[in-house]
Amino acid sequence: MAGFVDFEITWRADVFGGAPQESSAASFGTMGINFRARKATSEEEWQAALARLNCELPS
Amino acid sequence: MTMDTHSPTGPSVPDLDLDSLRQAIQTEYQVVAENPDHGFHFHTGRPLTRMLGYDDAWLEGISEAAIASFAGTGNPFSMEQPGPGDRVVDVGCGAGMDSLVAAKMVGPEGHVVGVDMTPAMLAKARKAARDTGLRNVEYREGFGEALPVFDGWADLVISNGVLNLMPDKHAALGEMARVLKPGGRLQIADILVEKPVPAGAKRNIDLWTG
Repeated sequence: MAGFVDFEITWRADVFGGAPQESSAASFGTMGINFRARKATSEEEWQAALARLNCELPS
Repeated sequence: MTMDTHSPTGPSVPDLDLDSLRQAIQTEYQVVAENPDHGFHFHTGRPLTRMLGYDDAWLEGISEAAIASFAGTGNPFSMEQPGPGDRVVDVGCGAGMDSLVAAKMVGPEGHVVGVDMTPAMLAKARKAARDTGLRNVEYREGFGEALPVFDGWADLVISNGVLNLMPDKHAALGEMARVLKPGGRLQIADILVEKPVPAGAKRNIDLWTG
């Protein structure tokens, strides 16, 4: 099944600060985010997106 | 069709007691449904909608009870609004506020399905839909990892502050992909953890809910 392409985080902010009860969120650097993506229109588009992925680990 | 309403797969966090986790989450969000002024480790209600950039016009006519129990972490509509006639799935819909906003946006030709695992939230969402007078929204009980929605049904999947509560995120995202049409949109609000979470903390159910 085709997966997601065009992933994008569009917004991030502290959404837990000032809440009525203390949270563990701050200790883990927790932010609220909005993100979007699109389901590939075809298996071909999905495979092409996978082929473009290039992850290099620092030596 | 391959709609799966059976119990979803197990968690991707080893040694996490899935049933205990779900019970703890249901207990927490039952309080959010029934006593939204209780005070939580997260913000709630109309003040939260303003913090997250919801336009007050989107909320006009929507049941105040649904707004009071809103507990999102972002704004799925800030990226792009659903259009007239769209089909929308709201994963972990809670008391239904985002589903009702979407139902207003898609109009009478569109349709919205909200899915949640907490009965108290579903009861509140269904009442809110009746009180709001919207007939193009329905609420179904289910898990994000096994959505009770047909393959390729939706133009848009939204979710707000819920994916982080699902132990098997790979399964949850797979389900979101399954129910979307080719080219369908995913617009999610959730949380991002910027520091590594130790394995012991991942098994601590108190940290999942607070």
